[in-house]
Amino acid sequence: MIRFSNVSKHYPPTTHALQHVSLHIKPGEFVSVVGQSGSGKTTLAKLLFAEEQATKGKIVIGDWDISGIKQSEVPELRRQIGIVFQDFKLLPRKTVLENVKFALEVAGESRVRIRKIVPQVLKIVGLSDKHARYPRQLSGGEQQRVSIARALVHRPKILVADEPTGNLDTIHAHEIIQLLKKINEYGTTVVLVTHDRDIVNALKKRVVTIADGKIVSDIQRGKYILS
Amino acid sequence: MSLTLSLTRVIKFTFQNIFRNFWLSFITLTIFVLTLITVNAVLFMNVVADSVLEAVEQKVEVTFYFNTETSEDIVTSAQGYLRGFAQVRDVEYVSADEALDLFRTRHVDDEVILSSLDEIGENPFGHSLVVTTQSTDDFAFIAEAMETPEFSSYIKEQDFTDYEAVISKIEALNTRIGYAGFALAGLFVLIAIMIIFNTIRVAIYVHRDEIGIMKLVGANNWFVRGPFILEALLYSFCATILMVAITFGILGASRGQITDYFGDASASIFNYFQENALFIFGWQFLALAALSLLTTAFAMRKYLKT
Repeated sequence: MIRFSNVSKHYPPTTHALQHVSLHIKPGEFVSVVGQSGSGKTTLAKLLFAEEQATKGKIVIGDWDISGIKQSEVPELRRQIGIVFQDFKLLPRKTVLENVKFALEVAGESRVRIRKIVPQVLKIVGLSDKHARYPRQLSGGEQQRVSIARALVHRPKILVADEPTGNLDTIHAHEIIQLLKKINEYGTTVVLVTHDRDIVNALKKRVVTIADGKIVSDIQRGKYILS
Repeated sequence: MSLTLSLTRVIKFTFQNIFRNFWLSFITLTIFVLTLITVNAVLFMNVVADSVLEAVEQKVEVTFYFNTETSEDIVTSAQGYLRGFAQVRDVEYVSADEALDLFRTRHVDDEVILSSLDEIGENPFGHSLVVTTQSTDDFAFIAEAMETPEFSSYIKEQDFTDYEAVISKIEALNTRIGYAGFALAGLFVLIAIMIIFNTIRVAIYVHRDEIGIMKLVGANNWFVRGPFILEALLYSFCATILMVAITFGILGASRGQITDYFGDASASIFNYFQENALFIFGWQFLALAALSLLTTAFAMRKYLKT
């Protein structure tokens, strides 16, 4: 599903965000990528949805080698990967419904399909009754659920969540993780980038640990090993 | 995605942007209109200056006074001769009797002059020709044309020389006003460009995060840029329509004052705006739209890279 082969990412003049990273994530896996701030975990996520391009190495998603992806191909890639961010990245002047719809509208989905899919996804994230609200009228947890709904609406095979609980309290963070687990159970590959020890330990899923831009451990049913 | 569907969505997002950012939209549109008002005010001043000078020039005429013994045939022959020139707009024949009547009318309250006239006993005036030309530049040509031996001996006097100073002053003033108007218009257009450029940049800067988010959820550049481009075009169009309404509103409401103030010149002011409305406002719309589009494209470029 996702294969990193000897991937490095350098930022001039001397920053080496990732060095010789090789990683294989199978379809349907739930992988937590952990590491301290500045370890390179977010860079790894950004390479997945082509916000950054690798300096060296090869990244393949499905059959698509995205190592040298053209700018014009990036929108197509992003329509196939669900992305969830720590700061939600919702469009402030669009309602919950419109935020979720937007991801389908830019992909050219028909009105009929949008009318069918969006309410289903909002139901999954538990926001059917708040579809007409604007992001500012929602709590942090609710905003993150909108963000997840937007990421899911394409029915992506991969969901990348970069610190999705970073701005949430423990209860809301737990809700979001449960939601991600549910999504994973439906067959979506989930890549969770986090530095939250409790979440990682509670998940009991595969854990890839990054330090100084290198993978230092990769354990099935792993734990948060950094101090 | 079909072009129709894509266009429909871009139009929908455009109107959402405009109405959900009402104050930003309102301010942007207001600045567009104020810019056009500035440009049109300069244009109006130029038109007024041109019209007034044209009216003054039209009133300037050369009169050829013939000797009292010159026959009417000679004078009408000279009239026909002058009318043959393309430079001549009109030649009015004023007979000796008409000249006398005119003189009496002018001095009806002046007993001394009227009694002096009576003492002379005969009409001291000869026939005359009042010539108006297409342009004041043509006076010299007409004066030279009348120096032909066929008529020169019959001409007692011409008042062309009296007008020479006035004409050259008008021409100098016209040229100076033309330069000043051009410089002023250039300055205002430059200010207008700066204002529009910055207004659009600010409007897009406000939306920079949204542009990034749109890109992250898979919108292509056209889909992100589309609503902003359409918004810029709509602002340009609405500003131009408002400007048309303001211009003709002001001209209509102040028709009386303009006519009182500028007299004959007022007709050409109204005519200029009525006859050239499509040209004036069409070009203003095109210039505004082109400027807005360029600025939009330029301002968005860096936000579209991610």
